[in-house]
This record gives sequence, C-alpha cells and structure tokens, in this order.
Amino acid sequence: MSILAARCRGCHNDQVQSGHLNLTSAEGLRKGGDKGVVVVPRKPDESLLVKLVSGGPPRMPLTGSPLSAEEIKTIRQWVTEGATWSEPETWWSLKPLTKPTVPNVQSKWIRTPIDSFVLAKLAEKGLTASREADRRTLIRRLTYDLHGLPPTMEEVDAFLADRSPDAYEKLVDRLLASPRYGERWGRHWLDVAHYGESHGFDKDKPRRNAWPYRDYVIAAFNNDQPYKRFVEEQLAGDALYGGDPQATVALGFIAGGPWDFVGQAELREGTTDKNMTRTLDRDDMVTVTMSAFTSVTAHCARCHDHKFDPIKQEEYYNLQSVFAGVDRADRPFDSDPAVFAARRQLLAQRRELAVKLRPIEDEVSEIKTPEIIALDKQLTEWKEISATDPASRPAEIQKKIAEGAARRKELLKAAIPADTAARLAELRGALADVDKQMNALPKPQYVYAAADFFEPIGTFRFPLEPRPVNLLQRGSVDRPLAVSQPGALSCVPGLKSQFGVPLTAPESDRRVALARWITDQNNTLTWRSIVNRVWHYHFGAGIVDTPNDFGHMGSQPTNAALLDWLAVEFRDSGGSFKKLHKLIVMSAVYRQASDYNEANAKIDAGNQYLWRANRQRIDAESLRDSIVMAAGKLDLTMGGPSVEQFFFKDDHSPVYDYSRFDPDAPGNYRRSVYRFLVRSMPDPLMERFDCPDISMITAKRSTTITAIQALALMNNPFVLKQAEHLAERARMAGGDQIRHIFRWTLQRDPDPKEEALLKPYLAREGLENLCRLILNTNEFLFVD
Amino acid sequence: MTTRRNFLWNYGGGLGGIALAHLLSQEGLLGAQSGVHHPAKAKRVVQLFMSGAASQCDTFDYKPELIKRNGQKFDPGGKVELFQSDPGAVMQCPWEWKQHGQSGKWVSGLLPNLAECVDDIAFVHSLMSKSNVHGPATFMQNSGFILPGYPCMGAWISYGLGSMNKDLPTFVVLPDARGFAPNGGGNWSAGFLPAAHQGTMIRASSANPIYDLFPPKSASYITPESEPDSLAVLNQLNQRHLEGHAGDSQLEARIASYELAAKLQVSAPEVMDISKESAAARALYGIDDIKTQDFGRNCLVARRMLERGVRFIQIWSGADNGFPRRNWDSHEDLAKDHGLMASGMDKPAAALIKDLKARGMLDDTIVYWTTEFGRMPCSQGSKGRDHNPFAFTSWFAGGGFKGGVSYGASDEWSYKAVENPVFCYDIHATVLHLLGIDHTKLTYRHNGIDRRLTDVYGNVIPELLA
Repeated sequence: MSILAARCRGCHNDQVQSGHLNLTSAEGLRKGGDKGVVVVPRKPDESLLVKLVSGGPPRMPLTGSPLSAEEIKTIRQWVTEGATWSEPETWWSLKPLTKPTVPNVQSKWIRTPIDSFVLAKLAEKGLTASREADRRTLIRRLTYDLHGLPPTMEEVDAFLADRSPDAYEKLVDRLLASPRYGERWGRHWLDVAHYGESHGFDKDKPRRNAWPYRDYVIAAFNNDQPYKRFVEEQLAGDALYGGDPQATVALGFIAGGPWDFVGQAELREGTTDKNMTRTLDRDDMVTVTMSAFTSVTAHCARCHDHKFDPIKQEEYYNLQSVFAGVDRADRPFDSDPAVFAARRQLLAQRRELAVKLRPIEDEVSEIKTPEIIALDKQLTEWKEISATDPASRPAEIQKKIAEGAARRKELLKAAIPADTAARLAELRGALADVDKQMNALPKPQYVYAAADFFEPIGTFRFPLEPRPVNLLQRGSVDRPLAVSQPGALSCVPGLKSQFGVPLTAPESDRRVALARWITDQNNTLTWRSIVNRVWHYHFGAGIVDTPNDFGHMGSQPTNAALLDWLAVEFRDSGGSFKKLHKLIVMSAVYRQASDYNEANAKIDAGNQYLWRANRQRIDAESLRDSIVMAAGKLDLTMGGPSVEQFFFKDDHSPVYDYSRFDPDAPGNYRRSVYRFLVRSMPDPLMERFDCPDISMITAKRSTTITAIQALALMNNPFVLKQAEHLAERARMAGGDQIRHIFRWTLQRDPDPKEEALLKPYLAREGLENLCRLILNTNEFLFVD
Repeated sequence: MTTRRNFLWNYGGGLGGIALAHLLSQEGLLGAQSGVHHPAKAKRVVQLFMSGAASQCDTFDYKPELIKRNGQKFDPGGKVELFQSDPGAVMQCPWEWKQHGQSGKWVSGLLPNLAECVDDIAFVHSLMSKSNVHGPATFMQNSGFILPGYPCMGAWISYGLGSMNKDLPTFVVLPDARGFAPNGGGNWSAGFLPAAHQGTMIRASSANPIYDLFPPKSASYITPESEPDSLAVLNQLNQRHLEGHAGDSQLEARIASYELAAKLQVSAPEVMDISKESAAARALYGIDDIKTQDFGRNCLVARRMLERGVRFIQIWSGADNGFPRRNWDSHEDLAKDHGLMASGMDKPAAALIKDLKARGMLDDTIVYWTTEFGRMPCSQGSKGRDHNPFAFTSWFAGGGFKGGVSYGASDEWSYKAVENPVFCYDIHATVLHLLGIDHTKLTYRHNGIDRRLTDVYGNVIPELLA
C-alpha cells in the first residue's frame, strides 16, 4: 500500500486520475481505469497493475525510476494474498490541525497549559519533573535565550531583589520589549534563510546590498510582525503590500542563498551549463521556501518522485515555476513610501520599454556586413597576440583595440536598416524620458532580493517573461519533459495544489499564490513548523527534532498534542511571536533546573520529554557578544551596512583575510548579527564555534567541542583584545578587581575558595591573564 | 536529544576526536586501523589538487591523432560547446611524448619526474565533470556536488574514521602559497557535518601557520612561563565548576580540549619544521629551488604529517583563475602557463611518491592527483586551451591501488570519455573502499536526506585495485 502511495498515486489520485484510475481508495482500485480492471485478487499474472510495473522497460511509472525488484515482489505478494485494502494512517504532519484538549493533570507544579501537556507525557513515561531553577540561573537563561546576551550584574541584582509575585513576568516582558530581542531571534531566522553576503562559488563577490533584508528580519521580530504577514512579505511582499517599501526588502529571503556568478553572468545563453545554473538557482529558492515555511523536503523530488513522502516530481517543478520570473539582483527601494510609489511606476515603465528594446538590440548586435566581419577578425587577432587580460596588453594594442571598437560602432550604425533605427531611437528616447524622471527622484537604496527587473551583468539579464520550467527527467536539463504550471503540493489536505495562474499573468501572481497556499489557515504544515522552530530555539531541541523535515525520514513529535495545541494557539491568536515566547517561557517546564537525576536519566538520557532544562553551550554570536560586553565595549548601534572584519581585496576571486583587521576599528564591537558574512571564507573564530556554513540551510546548529576552539579562545587577537579591555575596565573601576570581573562575566561574586586561588594568580600573572582565564571558563560558555 | 553515538560523533571528530580518542577506541566505534565496514588497505590519503584544470592531453593522455592533425580543423562530429570560445584548430601537446617504466606508459615531457613513477601509478583517463565552470566543478571533485555547502572528502573521512593521532588535526589543508583556489575555504568545508571535521588550514610558509595557534606578539603578558600557570588555574576553576554540574560530558570534553590544545602547540611547529630534514630530502623535494620550494615544502610537510598520523591532507597546486595566471587555467598560452605550474609541481609530487615508498609508507597511503576538469584538444586563440568537462585524467599511487595500469579511455581526440566513463563518484567510492568504508553506508541525515559523499551514485572500480 505504501508503494502505491509513493509511486502510483502521484498521477492516479482523486484529483488527477490519469487514465481515469484512482488508487486512493478501495473503490477506485476495484473499479480500475480506462484499461479496465487493474487488479485481480490472488492472480498476479492476470493483474494489469503487476504487468505494467514489471518487465523491461516497464510501462509504469511514467515519471521517476522503475520500481525495484523488491517493490514488484511486494506488489505481487499483495495481489496473491487478495489485494485487501487497508488505508494506512495519515502521516502526523498532514493530519488536519485541531486544538487538543488540555490534559487533566493536577499538580501544583503546573503554571500553564504547556505544563499539563508535558507533565502528562512525563507521567506516561515514568519520569518526574524538576524543581524550578534559582533566580540567577533563570535570568541568565532568559536573557541569553531572548537576547543572546548575558544580563548585567545590575539586572541580576534587581531581579534577585524583586520579591513581587510577578517579578519573573516583568522580566520576560522587559526582555521581549527590548530591541536586543529582534537581533537574537532575527539571527535564528537568518540561519533558516541561509542568508549570506557574498555569492559563493568561484568569484565570491560581496553583496553589499544584502543587509537591508537582515534589518527587515530584525525589525519584523521587534515589531512582532504577525507570522502570516511575515511569510507573505518574504515571498510576495512587492505584490501584496506594494505601498510598503519594507515589504519589497523582505524579498531578500528568496535571494539569500548562493549565486553562481560565472554560470549566470559569463556563460552563453542556451548552453547546457547555463540551463543547469538556472535550474539549480531556482532549486535553491524552492528548497529554502519549502524548508523554512513548511518543513517539507520538496527538493528531494527534483530527480524522481519523493522516495518517502507523497510528493511528485511534477509538483516539485510546479514549485520551481513559481520562481521562474525572478532572479537574484540588486533592487532599488526608498524609505519614503511616496518616492517609492513614484519609482515603482517608473520602473514598471522602464521594464516595459526594456522588454521591447531587447529583441531589437539583440537583432542589431547580430548584424554582420563584410566590413564588420573583417574588422572583427582583426580585433580578435589583436586580442589574441596579447593576453585575454585587458589590463596586461601593451598600450599600442590597447589603443588599436579601442579605435577598432569605435570604428565598429560606426559601421554598425550605418548598417542598421532605417525602420529598425527609427524604432530604436523612439524606444531609447522614451527610455531616456523615464530615466530623467527617475534621476529627479532622491537616490534609492538597494536590496539584494528577488527581482523581475535589473541591470544586466554580462549575460545575466532579467527575464522578459517567466522562463518556461520543464519537468526534467532524472533532473537532467538535457532531458526536458512537459512544461510545469505554478503550483504546490497535493498531499496537504483541503488545499488546491494547482494555482490556476495563467502563464501569461504577471509573474508575481505565482509567488502570491504560493504565499497564500503556505499561509492558509488549514495548511497542516505551516503552523506546526513555526511553533516547533520556536520551541527548538527555546529548549535546544524541537518537539520534532528535525525542524526542517516533517516527513517520513524526519523525527516524530515527542509530544504531538502539545505541538498541535501550540500551533493552533499561535495561529488563532494572530501569529504573534512575542505571545508565543511568553507562553513558553512562563511555563514551569521552561523554568526547570538542569540538575541531573539518575532515575530519570535511565529512562530518558537525552531528555526528550523535558524532565529538566538542557544545559547548552552558548552559540558563536552569543559568545562573541558576551566577550565584548564583558569588556565594556559592546556597541548597540542597530542596522545598516555590515561590519567587515577582514582585509578585503577585490580580484578575480576576491580576497577576504581575517588575520588582517584591527579589532578596535569602528563598528567591530557591534553585535555579531551585523558582521559581514562571506560564503567562501567564513570568520575562523565564529566558524570554530559552529557558526554554520551559510550556503546550507541550517535548522539546527551542531555543537562541537574541539582543541581548535580552545586555541581560539586562548589566542585569537580579537578575544585577547577584549581581555585587555576587560582588565582596563577593572582597573578603572577600582576596588576588588576579581569581584568586578566575576560580576561582569559570570554575573556573580567569587566565592572564598576562588578568591584564594585567583588572588595569588593575579599577583603572579597580572590582570590581563586573569581576564583571559575567566573568558575561557566553562561557566562563561555554558547556560544552565 | 543527544544519543550516546551521536554525542561521540559530534564531539569525537577532527581535532576534537583527540578529546575523546581513548573513549572512542575503547568502544570500537573507530575503525582507525581496520576500517569500519571491511578491512582497510589504506590508512591515509594525500590529495594533490591541480586548481584551474590541468590538461589531460598535455600530461598523461597520449593521442597521436593530435600530432598527426595538428593545425587542422577540429571536427569530432556533433556540436562542440565550449566555455568561452569557439573551437580553434587541433593543437598538439607542446611537449614531446615518451614511454616510461615497465608499463610503457606514455607521459609528455612536461612531467619528467612523475614519468619515473608510472609503474606505481594507476591512471584514470575517462573522468567527466557535471560542470564546465571552475567553481561548481571544483566543488564536485571535492564533495560530489556542484553546489557549495556539502562536506568534502576529507571531512567525510574524518567523520567516518576519526583521528589516528593524539596531537594533530585529522584533516589538514595546505593551500598554494599564491592564494586560494576558486571557492576558497568552501573546498574543505565540513558542510552540514559538525564543524570539527572541516580541514584545518596550515600555511606552511607563514609565521602563524594555524589560526590562533599562538597568541599575537602584542599580548606580551602571555609568556612561556605564564602559560602552564594559567592552564593549571583554569583547570582548577573548571574542575570546581564540574563538581557542581556532575554527569555532563560536554563540560569534561571542554576541560580535555585545553590539554590537547597545549599538545598541538608543541606538535604543530615540530611537524612543520623541516630544518632537520636531510640534504637528500631537501634536494628530492626541491626545497632550495625557487620553482619547487612552495609545493615542495608542502609535500615534505605532508610526509611528516603522514608519519605522525594525520589522516587526510589536501595540497593545492594553483590559486584562483585571475591574471597573471597563477593556476592551471591556461586559456591563453598553455606552453607558458602549464609549463610554469608543472615545473613547480612535478618534482615534489614525484618526490612524495618516492619518499613514501622508500619509507614503506606507500603501501597504506593513497596519493591521489586530481583536477576539476580537463582541457580541449583544440586551441583557444592560437596557444591556449578552453575547458573540457567531457574527459580528464586523475591518478593514484599506493594504498592498495594497482601500479602501472590505466583505466578508461577518451576518444582519439582526448575530447570525450568513451571507454568506462566515470564521474568522481566512482573515484570517491574506490578511495573510501580502500579505507575500509562502504561509500553507501557512510551517511549523515541532513534536512531529510541521508547524504553521502557519492550522492546516489558510485561504484568501486575493481580494475584499479591491487
């Protein structure tokens, strides 16, 4: 039955019914299709189904690989045994979303409905919950969790002193209201969006206009943007909220991944490699969209139907065609909505003219008179006798080439037919008019985003209309099959997988349709996906431990009822992240201590069911920010162009050298989320602490512990500089230096034993060494 | 959520593998000596990567047809689609071909030293690439994918086999002194594998060869005397902290990581210090010749690392594709630019094979020479060659590879692979096989897919095995 589901139902279901055959019900199977009955119970050799899938080459399935011998054997056996119909249970993530009742569990420990769900599960597994953590632990945990920073000692003292019953809630509200929150949680989203600021591949050029998207994400979290709108804007903000410049900036999401400069801008149109570059570029857009918003692995269906989940290859290419009208490019926007509106209109006109101009200009560029042919030959020779690198040609040759090029222009001008020339002049005149009006506007900003119109770079030119996307047999660009129609997945119940967007409609209609499909309140994936992500970041593990895969190869929820309850609660209360965070962190589950408990550990060593809090090493960004903060140097300036903490030299493959930068240079003490993120050469310090490869979509960071990390924290010039600043800060403060340093780094006072150890050490090795030491302690790096 | 096995992998790889190396070997998870899935022939790999695309038809893929038809129209039949040019005339190799060794292998005069090693080498002449563009093709040879973000071969091997030593990284990268190849550090990325498995870059001729191995000079408060004191006090602080947080192996691993870091500070400079190498060794690797000194030093350091149990070493010949040419991407003037690259690479690469052999180490060390794709048999301009993804050559020496054999063949032009055409998948599968790994079983679940070095392809090539 699962073979039918995975391999046959793509075409033979109640919606498509190829050959009028529907294999989704016992009735459909019994009825058969155009060719009559397909299964004769107990007689495999008389069953059409068995015949069609076996033999070489088999007639079915039409797309994707033939069934394996094993699969055919299973089907034969099933028919031999009577072909009885037993509908397998719907996969958990595709079950309709309904709000479960809160379990009726009585305990003084319970603070919120979340606790009831968790406690019920703990009881079921024979586990017991842990006590509440102490207040210092709680404020440290909460501040790292919501801000990615430690609390200040003053904040700790104030919280310890606040005996009011709502002291904890006030703390939560304060933290959620701070702009530090958006910087922390925006960074999580940037992992999922695999946001980077260079193209990757060879010629890893910087993207100096990527950052407005990063700022958009941070602002969206800080403004508690409803999730539905957050999704819509990132896929189709330009079309759905055209009046809001930031909704266009949001399209940076689609453009976040790598981009092959050589493949896109240097290869000639129509070549295999060019087509492959494009299809992989769109693949990245599909992958990030479906992973980020719906936690499904649609990208597994590029070469064949999904092997484990009910996703047809055809559906995958339908998703590709959603993005067939856009590329990744710099896109102008204005912070002033009025200017932005004017620019939008002019850009639309400009695009229209450019669409008309291109075929004429292409035609003209192909004109060859005998003189032009002769001149071209001469030009090629001049170029060949020197290197192809224009800069290294001898001056006299450069001059000849320049003169030749000018002469060519003249020859070409004379060779253009009169009516073509007139049409060209007319269109170029109109274009100049538009440009004049555009130039009268204030200078725009740019965001690197999905764009249907942009200035060409080499052979990289905006698509005149959405490019046709063919289903590719085995994923190969050399084997195109039928043209795809914009659409999504048929496995999500109650939603239409075909968008019905005419191929001639504006390309943005496709993206709008996908955004609506994803944010439909009945989409069983979307709402579960996002609450699970949020849970994952709060606890260090999701209720589903594969946040980007809710399919058969992913994990199953450890507490399905809780996940569904959270999903419905989140969806129906307006998709507010801040409400969701508060719901979670107010719970008794969240407030548990991280103490070890042998009896519980025997049953659930991995703490899947949350009988305690997970102790976690802080991530790379939090670590770096904590160090700078302890040094008293943290610069809380928000937004704007990213800080480049490397020496940069533009070249064929640009050079990014991290061993050559001054830690004290302006901007370097801003939060890590504002660092410039290079794909080919990530910052070695951050990489060592598991900052992920930004070419990959990261739902879950790994945590490694290595000697190279120890070396980085002991010797990295940036870290040592902070140790020195910390020492200076302690000197300036006067009084008990060790106490100061403990309070700034560990948010507590040293105990007498520590003082007894460190006072003589301070006398022996000095304050800088002491500061360096504390920044290397386990206590500094872990949050209980 | 961390299962025991998961924990060991997450914390147990790369240099961190040292942290728990004793634990791992006790548990028998590491097939350090014997392979994971079957007995291993090889323990170590040195990969020599010719960045920019080294020509097959000017090195090892001998085609008399090109000599015969030199200067004639290149007409192999069908459409010829080149990377950046229209096909020029057939161009013969600028160097003279001769047969060498017992095997009688034809090698061009470009590589006189490697020519002496042909009886130890297995050649594959039928390699193809899925991309004709340097960046994606270089990724492919390294990771099996033409996209960034996938773990490279060294990272997979580090993940699969772990460490063989207690004080050096498992996977080391020695870049070309002129700069990085296309894709930069992406070529030795751990991708979605834990970061510990990525290549540790060592710039052998630099003052600070490993990032952060030692504090900068400006930190004058750190001295050889202060350091043991600091480490001892840090250890005491961490031990006290551990008492209050019993049963957490992450905290213990971090404590151990400082001991290992200190060992690395001793062993890394030692392994890179070639001053005590004999005059014969210096001469063999060409250390004192300006042409060969950079690649020679990297090869010699590599041999020292292999002796000390580094498992995978990647050495680069060539930087990026910029001008003036500093890698094998000889679009303009093949004789000049390939001549320059080969004169730096040939002698040290041959020295590595000979030296390993003399030390009895070639038996369990694979030397693997490769590039991202080949070059066209026709000319670009009049003296250069454009890219050719349809046929190129890689070779192997030692570690269970058969010597003196050639596998697969290109057509009469050296234009397309026609006999036993293969992609890197088969190459990767074969190397893993000799290391005792079944390439279909070395997997890592990422975003819903059990990823492998060989994607969904790959067959071990039995003809290459000794």
